[in-house]
Amino acid sequence: MKRKLLVTLLTTAMTISMLAGCGSTASTEATTPAADTAAEETAAPAEETADAADSTASTDPVTLKVFSNLPDRKNGQGLIEQMVIDEYLAANPNVTIEVEALDEEAYKTKFKAYAMDGMPDVVSIWGQPSFLDDVLNAGVLAELNEADYADYGFVSGSLDGFKKDGKLYGLPRNTDIMAFYYNQKMFEDNGWKVPATYDELLALADDINAAGIVPVAMDGGDGWPMAIYLTDLIVKINGTHGDIVSEAIANADFANPVFKQATELFAQSAQAGLFQTGYDSQDYATAMNLFTNGQAAMFYMGSWESSMALNQDISEDIRTNIRAFTMPVVDGGKGKATDIAAWNGGGYAVSASSEVKEEAIKFLNYLYQPDKLSKYGWENGVGMSAQDQTAYMSGSETELQKQFMDILNNATSVSGTPINDCGPSVFKTVMESEIQNASNGTTSAEDFLTSIGNACK
Amino acid sequence: MQKLYSNKLVIFSLVLPGLLVFLFAILAPICLSVYYGFTSYSGMGQAEWIGWENYKTLLRDANFGRSLTNSLLLAIGFIFIQHPIAIIVAAVLDKLQGKAEGVFRCIYFIPNVISVAVIAYLWKFIYNPDFGLLNNALRALGYQGKINWFSNDTAIWSVLVVLIWHGFGWGMLIYYTGIKNIDPVLYEAASIDGADQVSTFLRITLPLMKPVIQVNVTMAIISALKQMETVYLLTNGGPGNSTQFAANYLYQQAFKAFRYGYGNAIGVVFIIICLLVTVFLNKIFADRQPA
Repeated sequence: MKRKLLVTLLTTAMTISMLAGCGSTASTEATTPAADTAAEETAAPAEETADAADSTASTDPVTLKVFSNLPDRKNGQGLIEQMVIDEYLAANPNVTIEVEALDEEAYKTKFKAYAMDGMPDVVSIWGQPSFLDDVLNAGVLAELNEADYADYGFVSGSLDGFKKDGKLYGLPRNTDIMAFYYNQKMFEDNGWKVPATYDELLALADDINAAGIVPVAMDGGDGWPMAIYLTDLIVKINGTHGDIVSEAIANADFANPVFKQATELFAQSAQAGLFQTGYDSQDYATAMNLFTNGQAAMFYMGSWESSMALNQDISEDIRTNIRAFTMPVVDGGKGKATDIAAWNGGGYAVSASSEVKEEAIKFLNYLYQPDKLSKYGWENGVGMSAQDQTAYMSGSETELQKQFMDILNNATSVSGTPINDCGPSVFKTVMESEIQNASNGTTSAEDFLTSIGNACK
Repeated sequence: MQKLYSNKLVIFSLVLPGLLVFLFAILAPICLSVYYGFTSYSGMGQAEWIGWENYKTLLRDANFGRSLTNSLLLAIGFIFIQHPIAIIVAAVLDKLQGKAEGVFRCIYFIPNVISVAVIAYLWKFIYNPDFGLLNNALRALGYQGKINWFSNDTAIWSVLVVLIWHGFGWGMLIYYTGIKNIDPVLYEAASIDGADQVSTFLRITLPLMKPVIQVNVTMAIISALKQMETVYLLTNGGPGNSTQFAANYLYQQAFKAFRYGYGNAIGVVFIIICLLVTVFLNKIFADRQPA
């Protein structure tokens, strides 16, 4: 009897401990720190009981799962996203929104996992082939009705990256412009002028180097900013970008002389000391710090960093003097100063398998009402949306914001998706790693172009 | 109690958790890896069977070759730089006695206590050409240039220094414990016979440390092969692929390029290499055991 009792006890204890083990794993997975904060902020507003089922559809309790690539919910775009979510919850008390937010790399990995066993209802996506092709082929995103967005003020062409076979699967959040941020005061103090041509930029780099300052801080460790630099040069040399890049990727052949010229020009610039020593192994934060600490005169980065002008962590002397200019024209190139590297990258979509698809689309449309994401984004200086923002100009914008607005308004053409994001993800990975070798002269422009061509096969 | 342990249900219930963990957390993933290694799976949609294609690509993949060469370099660095120094330091520590022994033991072990992420960033800053400690020290000595410690040619050596430095404490601690376990009577006998410190070390300490050295060397080689986190945080394999290591390359291919099939093939080859190396090492040590 005693033995049987012991046996039963032991077996039960073991089963319980196993169950407990499983339970705790599941709960740690479900609560990343970011999701935690978000969950607190969006605590279930409704206390509907089971009889809610009897009431009308609009008051049925609905839980929307939002999967976002903006883990910082207190600053920048994450804050804007959370603001709109909070407003939506206040307006729709029957809705509960659970946000899970991860940074980009972790986000993309988990996105693929979700794609296999059920997506959250509303997800962040990128309207670029390197990300979206596989996703659309797997059929995990719901089709949207393009006509619904006719009066949302989307900038012309900004929806293109989110379409396949003429059908719309997502909406863009930002318009990104690539630029050289520069320290205006440092330029004036030293008598340096904003370069109008690429040769002037290289000559300026020599002057800046001679003054013991880094000319351009470059996040070369990541590869993608250099790929965008290449896009910028292709635009200035060829006048257009998207068409020749798509063609090269489709044929897995980068023999077009424009690519060679752009790559060689880029490599020459890097080797002539345009960027900081060891740029090809330094990350985003290090490059940005060089600029915001005044150790570098310029910083090559996208318009999403225009909130630097309001960042209290940067000393006032530098913060208030940050200005921007776009890639100068290349001698003999077909691109004008107003042909710029700009594109509509990140955005949102709804899961095709969502059980509350209608509510999810309703929420998506709410996000994109012109006076939500777009307006709040503008007012908080977090860069430009893919929608018309002229109505929100208040006069209290930072100089940088106005500059970027001018650059966009005066643009005669935009590059579209940068070269690294135009092909499959294998192409992107190879390109972002090989461009480091091409820039520092370890491999020749020809070898670089051959290897990125091979990656398209 | 005796009877309890002879009850099959009890035995089964005690073995079951371990068995389940082995089946579902180790064996099943390995089998799945082998399967996916033969597909062109991208992580989404259907996995298409492509036979040996991934392995053929892998054979021609210069970056994978580079990863293995780097692992080999690291293993050599561990065995011929880190471990000899660790043994000598352990022997010296043993001779120090008293408070100094404890203090230095702690100091040498500190890098192991600090998180890898912190270590990686610390060294990133030390190596930074513009504001790093190394270049600033050189500047103080009168050198005016900026040395790029992470250029294509120098990066691997800079990474090796960090890895060797970081793993040093462990190796030293194990050797130190080994030395402490040597019977002091032997040293007394040696000193009575007039042996000096060097010959005591070579004739007594080293031979008696053989089992410890075997364990340490095996662990060093395995850790060189599976090196990932420090490299990922320090250079992520760059510039180019000059500091690429197999585990990091696997991660990049599977989770950044979304070539899950190819990533699994790398994983399979990686497991085979690790097994071969372990078998090979065991054989070497087994042969020498009787001597």
